[in-house]
Amino acid sequence: MTSLLHRRLTDEYVNELIESAPCAVAQLTDAHRRSLTARFRAVATPGHRRLDAWSVEQAGQRGRAFRWAPATARRVLGNAALRRVAVQPLTTITGAVRDELADQMLRAASGYARDGSLSYWLASAPHPVLGLVTAEAVNWATQLQEITEGIHADWSVAPSDAYYDVASARTTLRARRDVVIDRDDTRVVVRVRSGSPGKSAGPGLRADLTIDALADHEGLAPARLIGLWPEAGVCLCVDGTMADLRAGARDLVRTAVAQRRQRAPLAA
Amino acid sequence: MTTLLESSPISVVDALRGDRTKRPLIDTASAAGLRSLLDDGIYEVIGAERLTTPLVLRASSLHQRPATTDIMTSGTGRLRGVLVSQILRLLSVGVSIDHAFDDALCAWRAEVGTNDLLEHLDQLDDDERARLATDLDAHCVTLSRALGEIPARWRPRSAARAIQRLAGGNVVLRDVVDLVIGNTTSDVASIALFDVTTSPLGEGAERTMRYHALVQTLRTSTMPLRTCTFSTATGELWVRDVDYSLLARSVDEVLSCVQDLWSAR
Repeated sequence: MTSLLHRRLTDEYVNELIESAPCAVAQLTDAHRRSLTARFRAVATPGHRRLDAWSVEQAGQRGRAFRWAPATARRVLGNAALRRVAVQPLTTITGAVRDELADQMLRAASGYARDGSLSYWLASAPHPVLGLVTAEAVNWATQLQEITEGIHADWSVAPSDAYYDVASARTTLRARRDVVIDRDDTRVVVRVRSGSPGKSAGPGLRADLTIDALADHEGLAPARLIGLWPEAGVCLCVDGTMADLRAGARDLVRTAVAQRRQRAPLAA
Repeated sequence: MTTLLESSPISVVDALRGDRTKRPLIDTASAAGLRSLLDDGIYEVIGAERLTTPLVLRASSLHQRPATTDIMTSGTGRLRGVLVSQILRLLSVGVSIDHAFDDALCAWRAEVGTNDLLEHLDQLDDDERARLATDLDAHCVTLSRALGEIPARWRPRSAARAIQRLAGGNVVLRDVVDLVIGNTTSDVASIALFDVTTSPLGEGAERTMRYHALVQTLRTSTMPLRTCTFSTATGELWVRDVDYSLLARSVDEVLSCVQDLWSAR
C-alpha cells in the first residue's frame, strides 16, 4: 500500500515529519533498473524524452514551451543564494542573490554560457528585468530560509536536482529537490513548489521519490520525500517504501505512454 | 487628480517598524479557531454540497457587491495599479527607477508574456499612453519618497501570494500582498503586510487590510504584527495592529461575501 500524509505547513509538523521518517528504506537493484529500461524502450519516442513530476501530474500533456522569465529563474538563483548565506551567515538574502546574478553574468561574459542558458538570458536582460528577477529570487530564498530555520536537524540546500538517464531509451528523468536532511544512512528530501497541491500531487511526489532513488548510485530511496506548498500553507509527504517506488515508476511509464498517444495523431 | 507635496510627511519604514519594545509575543493559537469559524460559517451558507467549481474570493471581491461597477477597475485604472506594483517590487530590492513607465512596463512584460491587460495597453493611442506615463511618474515619486530604503535585514518579499482552501475546497481565498517584511520564526510578532493602491483610501481599503491579515494568518498559522495600506494618489498611509478582533471582523466580511456570491449563482 502506498503512503501519503497531509499536514499544515508549520515548523512543528515539518520537524515531526522529518523525525518520524521510516528508518528502513527500499533499495532499487540492477534488476529493477533493467525492468524499467525495458518498459521505457517499449514506448517508442521520435526524439529525446524528458519526464518529471510535473509531466506526471499533467498526465503527459505538453504545456507552453519553456522560456526564461523571472518566475522560472527564481528557484535556481534563490537556492544558490541560500547556499551562499549558509556559508556566509552575515550576508543578506538580497546581497547573496545579487552576488549570484553577478556570477551568472560573468559566466556569460567570459564565454562559458551556451545559448538558451540562464546566464545567457540574464546577460541580455534589461535593467528592470534584472530587478524583477532579483525580487523573485529574494522571495524564493527568503521563503526557503524561513522553512530551514525551523528545521531542528542538520540540513543542506541540494546542490542540484536529481537526474537519471534511462539507458538506451532516449529518456531523461528529473526530480526536483531543494533541501536534503541526512540522517545516519538515510536522507529526507524536501521539495518546495508554488501554488497549491492538486489531486495529482501524490503521484508527483512519488515520481520524484523514484527518480531520486534511481539517481542514487546505490539505488537507496530517500526515507521520506516531503513536498511543501508555502503559498497554500500545506505539506504532503510519501515514504521511501517499495510500494511507493513501484507506483512512481508506473506513473512515469504511463506518462511516457500518454505522451506518445498525444503525438501519434500528429504523426499520422 | 494626483498632487505631490514638497516632501513626504510620512515614512513607511518608520510606520512598519513601530515601537520594537511593544511588540506582542507571536500568536500561533488563533489560526485554527479562525479556520473553524470560516468552515462553520461556509457550511451554514452552502451546506454539505460539494461544488464542482469553488467560490473564489480575492481582496477585490470585498470592495464591492457583485452587481456594481467600480471606475477604478477600468482597464486603465487596473493598468496603473499593476505598473505601480511592479515599481514597488523593484524598489523593494533597491533598484533605482529611471523612467517609471518604461521600467515598470519592461519588468511586467518579462513577467507575464502576454495577457488581456497588455493588449489593452497596446491599443492605447499616443495621448492616452502619455497620460498614463505621466500619471505613473507622479505615483512613483509619491511611493518612492514615502517608502525610502527598506533594509535587506527585514527580509522584504514582494507580490507574496497565498491560496487557502476552505470547507473541503468549496471556497478558495486568494490573495497577493504587495510587500511582506519580517519573519515568522522570531518569538515576537514581526510580520508587517504592506499594500499599495492607486486610488484614495476608503472603506474598501480597510477591508482589504483585514483580509490580507486573515489570509496571512491562515497560511502561516502565525498572526502578523500589523497591516498597512498606502495610497499613491493621496500619499495617505493607514496602519492597523493585528489582533483577534480585527481578524474576526474579516471573517464576518468574508462570510458575507460568500453569502453574496452564493446568492448570485
